[in-house]
Order: sequence, then structure tokens, then C-alpha cells
Amino acid sequence: MNTPLRLIGLTTIAAILAACGGAAAPAPTAAPAASTEKQPAQPAAASGACTISFGAAVSFTGSTAAEGKYTKDGYDIAKDKINEKGGIKVGDKMCKLDIKYYDDASSPDQTAQLVEKLITEDKVNFILGPYGSSSSDTAAAIVEKYKIPMIEANGAAESIFARGFKFTFAVLSPAGNYLRGILDLVKVKDPSAKKVAVVAETDKFALEVAAGAAKYAKEQGFEVVYNDKYPAKATDISSNLTVIKGLNPDVILGAGHIQDAILTIKQGKELGVNAKAWGFSVGPTAPEFRKSLGKDADYVLGAAQWTEELKLKGDANDPFSTPQDFAKAVRAKFPQGGYETTIPYQVAESAAAVFAFQRAIEKAGSLDAQKVRDAIAALDFDSFYGKVKFDERGINTFKPMAVQQNATDGGNYTVGPAESASKPFEYPAPAWGSRK
Amino acid sequence: MTRGDKILYIVCGLLFAAMALLPLFGASGFLLRTITLALMYAVMALAWNFIGGYTGYSAFGNVAFFGIGATVTGVMMTKMRWDFAPAVLLGGVICSLLSFLIGPALLRLRGHYFAVATLGIANAAREIVAGWDDVTGGGIGLNLPLNTDKDFYTFIYYIFLALTILSAVITYFISRNKLGFGWLAIRENEEGAKALGIDATLYKTLAWVLACFIVGITGGIYAYYNTAISPEAIFNPLYSTTPILITLLGGTGTVVGPILGAMILLPLSTWLLFNFPGIQPALLGIIIILTIIFLPRGLYEYLSGRRKLTLAALLKNPRDNQA
Amino acid sequence: MNSIQFAQTLVNGIILGGVLSLVALGFSIVWGIMHVVNLAHGAFIVLGSYITYTLYTSLGIDPFLGLPLTMITLFVVGYATERWIIHWVIRAPLMAKFFITFGIGMLLENLILQVWKADVRSVTTPYSGASLAIGGVNIPLVKLAALALSILMVIVFHLFLTRTRQGNAIRSTGMDLDAARLTGVKVAPIYALTFGLSTMLAGAAGSLVSMTTSFTPDAGARYTVYAFLVSVLGGLGNVPAVLAGGMIIALIQVFVGFYAPALKDAVSFVLLVVLLLLRPQGLFGKPFTSGKAE
Repeated sequence: MNTPLRLIGLTTIAAILAACGGAAAPAPTAAPAASTEKQPAQPAAASGACTISFGAAVSFTGSTAAEGKYTKDGYDIAKDKINEKGGIKVGDKMCKLDIKYYDDASSPDQTAQLVEKLITEDKVNFILGPYGSSSSDTAAAIVEKYKIPMIEANGAAESIFARGFKFTFAVLSPAGNYLRGILDLVKVKDPSAKKVAVVAETDKFALEVAAGAAKYAKEQGFEVVYNDKYPAKATDISSNLTVIKGLNPDVILGAGHIQDAILTIKQGKELGVNAKAWGFSVGPTAPEFRKSLGKDADYVLGAAQWTEELKLKGDANDPFSTPQDFAKAVRAKFPQGGYETTIPYQVAESAAAVFAFQRAIEKAGSLDAQKVRDAIAALDFDSFYGKVKFDERGINTFKPMAVQQNATDGGNYTVGPAESASKPFEYPAPAWGSRK
Repeated sequence: MTRGDKILYIVCGLLFAAMALLPLFGASGFLLRTITLALMYAVMALAWNFIGGYTGYSAFGNVAFFGIGATVTGVMMTKMRWDFAPAVLLGGVICSLLSFLIGPALLRLRGHYFAVATLGIANAAREIVAGWDDVTGGGIGLNLPLNTDKDFYTFIYYIFLALTILSAVITYFISRNKLGFGWLAIRENEEGAKALGIDATLYKTLAWVLACFIVGITGGIYAYYNTAISPEAIFNPLYSTTPILITLLGGTGTVVGPILGAMILLPLSTWLLFNFPGIQPALLGIIIILTIIFLPRGLYEYLSGRRKLTLAALLKNPRDNQA
Repeated sequence: MNSIQFAQTLVNGIILGGVLSLVALGFSIVWGIMHVVNLAHGAFIVLGSYITYTLYTSLGIDPFLGLPLTMITLFVVGYATERWIIHWVIRAPLMAKFFITFGIGMLLENLILQVWKADVRSVTTPYSGASLAIGGVNIPLVKLAALALSILMVIVFHLFLTRTRQGNAIRSTGMDLDAARLTGVKVAPIYALTFGLSTMLAGAAGSLVSMTTSFTPDAGARYTVYAFLVSVLGGLGNVPAVLAGGMIIALIQVFVGFYAPALKDAVSFVLLVVLLLLRPQGLFGKPFTSGKAE
């Protein structure tokens, strides 16, 4: 009862409470997760030198840790490129750019908490988006609240933008557009292909992809013979595939994440489900897809927000001017980054988000949040990533999407849109039994 | 009540007073959000404490009612254009009704079986909400109206603070009342309690319904706070496990245990996130393991002076509990 | 559903049942014997998958040939986990035991992330996806092997627990810890052995699922939940019940999945709750030492 130890216990609690208050209070002892530079200076300062601070809560751990890394690499590439050239021009000053990162552990709750920290304590000027639709959704509500502009590059669900928010913009094409390119390709190559099966994971992003694909297929004269879903994070979808097999579709489209794409191909092969074309919203463009499936990855098509083979041309102010230049820069900066064969589009779209900010800030000539927000809304430029322009909701619906195919020679090539194709579209995919 | 208890109540009272004043001193949005989330978990820990702590039934799926409360609030606010308060209350009422209907049957199970049944209910609820597209928005979920009032987050902060205090006060009075003694009797020996004339089914069901009501309300407030709800987010198993961990850390079947537990564990986990990015989950795992080995009954017994916190006392626990 | 689809769905179910049984077997043993619900079970399965992956991609060891290696590694990891951690809480309250394994799961998942990174992986051998087509019905060979292995494990374990001295010691500690001790059973090593065997089975399950699906460090939770479903449905009393539980869950999943794939998990869980309410000891389990409601 009177033991000093008990007092120590109580003081420890008090100390922890104080510490957490302290960690949160004005002078954070908190080390930023991976910021390359020290504490960002306040943007004012004399003599023309200044720093613009960006904040990003990205997943370094948790279920989307791999994509989180691509996102951060993309932001860093853009930051280095801009700083190399002296920074962002604000009025008559050149301002260096700094990005403060936190790990949101793939949890939308944590994203909200960290974005609020970035805005209210780290006092960053602008927010770069997190990875994933759910996290982007919670982050959007926070930036709207504080009226700080956010450009996100990795949340494609249109429901984020159906809420009338004014401060969130997405440089990427919305979920509903993902699988259109694949249907376009098939339609041109084989007008006799009619039957389409769509199978989706029960997930915000995937369901929007599936709805968009089914709608577009009907518009293009396809017959949607199957459109159903399975529980999120499934490890067995044999029931869906058994039904699909009986319908003999020409095209099988999968809406989900890379795990879903791999599972669909593995179980499809086991069950002898055949289609002339297999296409997925996410997966086939990532290097892990080929690594996971080996030869079974052949012929599989994947939707891509961007590929390095696209014939795109940036305008005079574009830092990279072509996708190929960007790819070169990524490989030079991250020689061990796993980018030898393919550069996942997440890297490019994330970099594009930073460049979009640069354009808007330079045009606004100020760091004022409202002015920059209005400048972002009015952006319209061509870059190595494609056109960046936002519709009234804040989504970049003006950029086309690409299609990549895992070819039989083991490479991954852009096959659509036709003018950017680096290799002919290999079609039809032979039945599993007749492959070597 | 020992002198230690009194000290702890005063500590909690001061803590609440400090929290009540905090927004007036210009606390940052982040600090407020961190404490708001800690308070949200404290409320859920106090709720779990009724059924898991006092009554001794290991509920393991309270997230079911968090998710149902959030979904009902979301549906009423978006599709029926209801106001926040009635929508949240309806969420709580529906959770109480559901838990009341299944309670008597469910509470015949004990120990692991009860835990697993509640886990099953949580998973079933998630899959049903995810599959019921027309009403709940299915896997895409719902977007609640964004409250643009500049004090909105402070408002939610005060709601959770009030709810924490209210739950603590309810716990305090029940624990000194026939109902509370009945729960403890059931926990210690249910057959014996029945022999003493306690209507065990009624008492257990009351604890369960009370817990589910509070968790349902909490889910509804969370939905409005977070604005975007999807089954994946609102049925996150962490909303079941974290409140239990908090209560275990603080002390089960006590008034202050869940509050102190929440105020220690959540700030600690945020602090680890900032200082050890990437390995925070591992460190948290180690802390959980050590806490359970050395403090299987939580901090309360030491903080209240019922037991001396000495090295020997800490080492005694693993020795007593080993195989 | 035509007859070919019916036959195919039946095959899908039986084969899935083999996998689910193996996923649940170790979990059920630890629960039944040690009264510990191992929430880290899924994480041990994922560890098995990663070890199989590394053996295959770095050393070129075929997953089936590597199976004993994976199992031995997992046995050692499990044995150590029990001796160094779980050992100290065996008599602690139920929730304390729940959460010690919860903490172990968090730690293990993060260690896997540190070692193998977050990239999605899968093991694809030249014979992956090969199947036997009989009259329009495909029987995947790898999963057929998994089924055979599950049945084999169930039989071996059943015989081990009922026919050997060690097995009898394990079962008697499961029935009454103190009585077993009084009859001269050294309880501590028996528990470590039991837990090691259970993670060894998790390792075997991990090896097999690494070939049939993909995995990431956080993939374990899904398997733990299936282990719950199967163990409870079958009942904890005996090992063959796990196989029965696995088959039933799998058949529900595939047949419900044929008509309403989005609801297959919902139906499984509702059934779990209903069954618990009607028959808590599971379909095939013996009434579980009711006095000790842990």
C-alpha cells in the first residue's frame, strides 16, 4: 500500500500519458518514418529561399505494404527531380520541396489520424494521397475539413468523388474504366467474341471495376453471361469458376487485387476453365504476377494506369517528357528496387501527383491553400504520364488507360491502346490442355 | 473501498477534467483525434467489461454490434435523411434488440464456446452486411454526410468523453448494486449463484444487452465521425480485440481498469508507430505477451494497492500459471 | 446445376475439405488438449508457406520433397514458442490465453514481413494446376495430394494419440492436467510437444496452400477463422471429427457458392452459431469436459 513501487507504477502511467501528450504536442519527438530531409522550415523566410512541405501517410506495413512502397518511390522520384532543378517557383522565389511520411499500416483509421497530424501539427502545406481507396476515402474527409488540397494517385473508387468534396483530386482514371481497354482490344481482334464473364471480389474498388466493366461490355455489344462476386480475401473461388466454365465465355474478366488474379488463374487452370482472353483489373502488370505463376501467366491481360511503353509526350514544362525517360530515372534511382523488368504504374501516377501540385503552385504563384486548390481544378497539361485534367468531381477522366499482356516470351508488353502497342496482342489464349 | 481505490478514482477524475479542458487550450486536431480514438476504445472496453469482466463471459465478437450500429446509422442518415442523434440511438436500440433475442440462447454457452459463437456472429454480420447490396451499400459501403462545422471533431470528442464518463459511472453504481454482485457471483460460480436464487439468465442477458447497446452507439458515432463506412472497415476484428486487450491490461471487472488501460495502450501504440515505424506491430506483440505473462490480472491490483508491485510478485504470476 | 457441374462441385468440395481439415487439425488439437485457442495458428501456416517458397525458389527443393523440412522447422518454432511463452500462462484465465497467442501472431506476422517483405508470393511448380479430367470433371492433382496428405495426417495423429504412450500422455493431460501429473506424466514437455506437433501440421498446411493460392505476410487471419469453423463444427473430442468438420464446411462453401457465392461465408458462420446453440460439443465431438468451462 505504501510501497514506493506502487508510486513508481502510478508515475509511470503519468509519464506515459505525458509522453503521449508530448509526442503529440508542438515539438514532436516523433521521427518521421522516412523523410530524407530534416524538419521542414516554415515557408516564409526572406532572401528567396523557402521550403514547401508535403505530407503523406502511406502504407509501409500491413496488407498493402508492397503498393505503399511503389507510392513512396513515385513521390520521391518527383521530389528529387524538382529539387534538382532548383525547386518549385512560387512568385519570384524558388522553393525546395520536402515530403514528410508516416506509415498508416494499411489502416484507414490510422490514415485519418496521420493526415490530421500532418495538417495540424506538422503544418504541411499540402497532402499527397495514401495508398488504396478506403484510406483515400478517410483522408479526403480530413482534407475537406481543413481545406487543404490533396492530390491522390492511388484511390480509384468513384464513390470517393461522389460526395461533392472540393479539395481532393485524383490523377488516375476511375475504377469503372479499368477493364474497358481489354474489351476494346478483343472487339477489334475478334468481332465474333461475344460472351463475357465478370467475377469480382466484394470490395469497394473491385465492385466498381466490375460494374463499370459489365456496363461497358453491354454498350459495346458483348453479352455479359456472368457477373457475380465472392467474399473479400477469398482463398477458394472454385464455385464461381465452375459456373463460369459451364457458360463457355470468350472473355473472363476479374475485378479485385493481385491475390485474386493469381487465384483465378490457378484455380481456372485446375478446373480446366478456358477463355480466349483473361483480363484483370490489378495484378498482371506487377512483376510478382509472373514470378508467382511462371508460364501460367502467359496471355493474361492486365489493366494499367500507365506503362513505360506508352507513346505519350509531355509538354515543354514536363520534367521527363516521355514515359521512357521516366522509366530510366526510376531505374537509376532505385537500382535494387525490383524495377528491372516492369515499372508498376503506381510509381508513375504517384510522381504525376507531385508534378500536378508543382504546376498548380506555380500557376497560383502562392502557397495559399484556396488559390492552389483553384489552380489544381483548372489544370490541363500533357505529361509523360498522360493528360492531367480533372472533371468537376476531381477525377482525371481525360487520361486513357493501357493494357499490358504477359507474353509467351516471358515479357510484359503494352498491347493497348493500339497506337502504343509494342508487340502484337497474342490472341486467343489456347486452352490449358493444349499449352506446352 | 481502499485508499488505493480512492486515489485511482481521483486520478481518473483529474484525467477527465484535464480532457474536458483540453480543447479550450488549443489542442491540435491530431491530439484531439488520438484521444478521441482512445476514448472510443475506452467506451468499448467498459462495455465489454460488463459481460467479459464482471460476468465472466468471454465475448469475442463485439465488433458485430459496432458494425451493425454503424450500418444502421449510415443507412438512416443517407437513405432516410435522419438526423445524427436519432440515427445513432436507433442503431443502439437495434443492437439491444438483436442481442436480447439471441442472448438467452447464446449465454447458455460458456468459455470457449461462447467466445467462438460471438466470433461467428461477428463474421456472419459482416458477410450479411457486405452481401445485402440494396440496403447497406454492400461491399462498397456508404458515405455519410460530411459535417463541415469547424467544431465538429471537438463535438465528437466531447461525445466520446461524455460516453466514457457515463459508462464509468454506470459501472460504478452497478458494481455496488445487487446486479453487480449477481454478475460477480455468476462469474465465480454460476451453479452456486443460481442456488442463491439469482436469476442467472436474466442477469447475464442484462450484461450482454447493456454491452451491445453501448457498442452499437459507439459504432454509430464512429460512422458519422469517419463518414465513409465499408464492411471491411467497420467489421475490422481490431474493434473486438483492442477493447479486450485494454481491459486485460487495466484490470477486468473494475471501474477504472478499462479507462487506464485505454489511456495507456492507445497512446503507447501511437508513440511506437512514430518512433519505430515498420516494426510497431512486433513491439506491440511483445508488449502484449509480456503483459499477459507478468500481469495476467492487469495493472489494477497493483495500482490500487491490493498487491505490492515487487519483482517477486511479478515473477510469481508466471510460476503460478505455468503448466 | 447439371450433372457435370454437380459432380465438379462435389469434387471441389471434397478437395477443399482436405485442405481445410489440414488447416484446422493442429488448431483443434491444441484447443482440445491444452485448452488454448491459438489465434496465431494462421500466422504459423503463412510461415510454412514462406519456408516452402524459399526452399523452392532459392534451393530448388520441390514443395512435396521440402514438406518434411518445413514441418520440422515449424515443429521447432512451435516447441520453442510453447516452452518460452505459452508455458507461462497455461493456468491463466481464458482471455489471457487468447491474447497471448494474439500477441504471438502479431509478432510473427511482422517478423515474416521483415524477412520476406510484403510482395505477393505463390509457389508454382511445373506440375501446378495439372488435373485429371474424367468425363468433364477436373480433379486437381496437387489438391488431391493435399487431400491424401490430410487424411494420412489425421490417421497418423489419431493412431499416435490413441496407441502410443506419448499420445496417451497427451490425451490424459487434455482430460485433466492435475490427474495426469499425479500419475507421473511430465506435463510441461507434453504441452510443448503438443504445440510443436500442431504448428508442424500448420507448416504442412502452409506448404500445400502455397501451391494453390497466393500469400502475403498478413494472410493468416483467414486461415485462423476457417480453423475455428472446422474445429467447432467437427467437435474437439477426436481427431477424425476434424476431417468430418472440414468436409462439411467445404461442401457448404462450394454448394452455397454455386448459387450465391457472395453469401457462402455468411451461411457458414450462421450455421456455426446455430450449431453451437443446438449442439455445443460439435457434430461428432464428445461432450467436452463440461465442468471446466474453459
